[in-house]
Amino acid sequence: MKRYRLKQFFQDFYLVLVILFLYAPIVTMIVLSFNDTKSRTLWGGFTLRWYADMLQDTAIMNALHNTLLIALLSALAATVIGTAAAIGINSMKKLPRSIVMGVNNIPMLNSDIVTGISLMLAFIAFGISLGFKTVLIAHITFNVPYVLLSVLPKLRQTSRYTYEAALDLGAGPLQAFFKVVFPDILPGVLSGFLMAFTMSLDDFIITHFTRGAGIDTLSTLIYSEVRRGINPSMYALSAIIFLTVLALLILTNFSPEEKKGKTAAGIEAAARKRRRFARIRGGILAAASFSIFAVVSLSTWNRYAASHSDELYVYNWGEYIDESVITQFEEETGIHVTYDLFETNEEMYPVIEAGAVRYDAVCPSDYMIQRMAENGLLAEINFDNLPNLKHIDPVYLEMSREFDPENRYSVPYTWGTVGILYNTKLIEEKNLPVPRRWSDLWNPAYAGEILMQDSVRDAFMVALKSLGYSMNTEDMRELTEARDLLIAQKPLVQAYVIDQVRDKMIGGEAALGVIYSGEMLYLQEEVASQNLDFTLEYVIPEEGTNLWIDSWVIPANARNKENAEKWIDFLCRPDIALKNFEYITYATPNRAAKALLDESLQNNKAIFPDMESLAQSEVYRYLGDETDAVYNSLWKEVKSR
Amino acid sequence: MKNHFRQLLAGPYIVWMIGFTVIPLLLIVFYGLTDKSGAFTLANVTSIATPEHMKALGLSLGLSLISTAICLLIAYPLAMILRRRGIGHSSFMVFIFILPMWMNFLLRTLAWQTLLEKNGVINGILGFLHLPELAVINTPAAIVLGMVYNFLPFMILPVYNVLEKIDDNTVNAARDLGAGELQTLLYVWFPLSVPGIISGITMVFVPALTTFVISNLLGGSKILLIGNVIEQEFTKGSNWNLGSGLSLVLMLFILLSMALIAKYDKDGEGTAL
Repeated sequence: MKRYRLKQFFQDFYLVLVILFLYAPIVTMIVLSFNDTKSRTLWGGFTLRWYADMLQDTAIMNALHNTLLIALLSALAATVIGTAAAIGINSMKKLPRSIVMGVNNIPMLNSDIVTGISLMLAFIAFGISLGFKTVLIAHITFNVPYVLLSVLPKLRQTSRYTYEAALDLGAGPLQAFFKVVFPDILPGVLSGFLMAFTMSLDDFIITHFTRGAGIDTLSTLIYSEVRRGINPSMYALSAIIFLTVLALLILTNFSPEEKKGKTAAGIEAAARKRRRFARIRGGILAAASFSIFAVVSLSTWNRYAASHSDELYVYNWGEYIDESVITQFEEETGIHVTYDLFETNEEMYPVIEAGAVRYDAVCPSDYMIQRMAENGLLAEINFDNLPNLKHIDPVYLEMSREFDPENRYSVPYTWGTVGILYNTKLIEEKNLPVPRRWSDLWNPAYAGEILMQDSVRDAFMVALKSLGYSMNTEDMRELTEARDLLIAQKPLVQAYVIDQVRDKMIGGEAALGVIYSGEMLYLQEEVASQNLDFTLEYVIPEEGTNLWIDSWVIPANARNKENAEKWIDFLCRPDIALKNFEYITYATPNRAAKALLDESLQNNKAIFPDMESLAQSEVYRYLGDETDAVYNSLWKEVKSR
Repeated sequence: MKNHFRQLLAGPYIVWMIGFTVIPLLLIVFYGLTDKSGAFTLANVTSIATPEHMKALGLSLGLSLISTAICLLIAYPLAMILRRRGIGHSSFMVFIFILPMWMNFLLRTLAWQTLLEKNGVINGILGFLHLPELAVINTPAAIVLGMVYNFLPFMILPVYNVLEKIDDNTVNAARDLGAGELQTLLYVWFPLSVPGIISGITMVFVPALTTFVISNLLGGSKILLIGNVIEQEFTKGSNWNLGSGLSLVLMLFILLSMALIAKYDKDGEGTAL
């Protein structure tokens, strides 16, 4: 008996351990949703503001709507198609059945990345523009197999004789099916539906490859936020979803204990109680599904009721505009803006090239603008439609000639440098020297304290500049030297990051980070507002750095070119440029807007460096597809080391 | 006659499969076997032999095998306990393990980053207890942890499903005939649960082999897996042909898994969740 107890205890312990493992991150997330700072590592006190913010946030609400709508529609469609298919397959001969089942298994066993990519290639080949419907099709495709696999076993368990008996007794085939067979397979159908709904809700990779402009599900929205730092409202939303499901689950599974009452009256009472509970349970489930359905259809109705004749498709970097600017533009012009995000120039390029989504205004960087122009992807801007261009300092138009020689395609939006951001306290504590040069990033004293940029050109720029070479070099010897240097640096690097550098520097995870100048101001403000015990300083390395400009361009296949020009002109208005500067904190080329800033900001040399001090610095040039491929493969050698 | 009518019900799905499963795969084959100008080449597929790609593939294989083994080691005893308890509301227990999937996959993984970071939650607790710090983040170990965490439910469910179907009488018969605890496990439970184990293994192994998100978030982008290579060819390197060629190589492993499933799990019972 005692041994049995001990065994029982170990088993319980094991169950608890696994459940703890499964739920630890979820608890973390729920805790973070009440955290008063944006940081994932510092506790700033209890707050409910993220829950309030969540309801106001249109991006999150739209993504939620899309996620639920896609999950609901794809699960419904998959259930209908899958159940019908299961009945068909069940009556097939062995060979055709194994062929169909084999193909059926493909989307389930194939990796998501291959499924997603293959569907994307197919949509582009068929000329179906990526958007809501392509995501829906993709989700139905990977959902049907789950339905099929949960319906088929149930179907096999049903006896065909009962069905035939029903026919003999005069029921029609349909009637016989719904009265006799369907109740038997219903559990399979329901669990298939639920499985499909869950899979669709949780999918990221396939959606990532098949979505188009303006379509974000929660997953893709989170992925674009991961690099910039997650909006805590996301945790709030996830907590709500999770707790709702948990509550539903507990309610539906909690039925009154079957009392071992001996008396007939006791049994009778228990049965009554159970029946009443079953009714309540059914009611809750019905109410829950009805409310999901109502919310989704209502917001769909809202969306389509407000259709627009005048459209503008904008493709921009994440967090690269004050959202109120978009609303203001819509109000002033009556043009409806569909706003979409990209994270890297390289990710944006094939989207524009394939034309699966036709954007009207895009904001790439210097060298990418050159590449797009050289490959005929850009339309010339009609500068007569841009009266506000006069506010842009001619210095930057001159600088733009590096990549847009005749100033025909682009209008500067932001500019800046790349430098090293360092944590003063960590540097002091560890007795490390203050970084001044790129070559400091190879100092073994900084081991494990360095955050490098996870992009080819930026990583090579650091290495090439520290060697004293041009960052636009095509010389193989110089490039291999830079590669070897980057490989040598790898053991010192804590992580290769893009926008995550912000979160990690605020969290005090690393002492040094390679960063874009525009991030500095935001990070310093964030550190000050969180009352952290360190400061972050920015230095432009002595060897010279990358001088970059992000500019607005209009793709050649744009459908609303004049609206795009109105948009670009609007962004050049001093009051709008000021608003955007205050939000994104990247230096503005707009001299009228700059004049409106505080003296101290205007004179901040880290944001607005003197042109003389940048004599050593260069602008990236597009080096041709072949040299690009060389850079990419050298970078792959570094990363795989 | 009636059978024919019923077979027609599978028609819409067959059409759907041809349009959205078969043709897209053929397109990958097409891209994988051509170069940018559209001429036939094997270079994309053979490029798997380059040292960088081999290393990425080897690492992916290694890490996903380890993760799969750990998943099995955790899941089998768990499923056994659940089965032996004969947990009445089996659906509830099943839900306990599906439930984490309702929290977004990316957020769950990101939460692990928060837990494991240098200044993260776990190190905070360890520091409070004056224990040495854990330096797991940005190492292969963190990736394995992420894989085990995300794919564990895919192992638990199929294993539990087959165990649940094993008749108590079979087990009792073995006990009556004098088999000990270990012998029943080895000669009764284990052989009867092979279909579930196999489908669990493939359902964990394939997504682990091809992931790129977990290695990005928990590996600090320092560790390049084959999934990362493919994803980067599509999104950053814009070389779709090379990406497709490498996908073809990956599909070899997936075909292998399918063959395994077909051999051991004829009725698709294990895969039905």
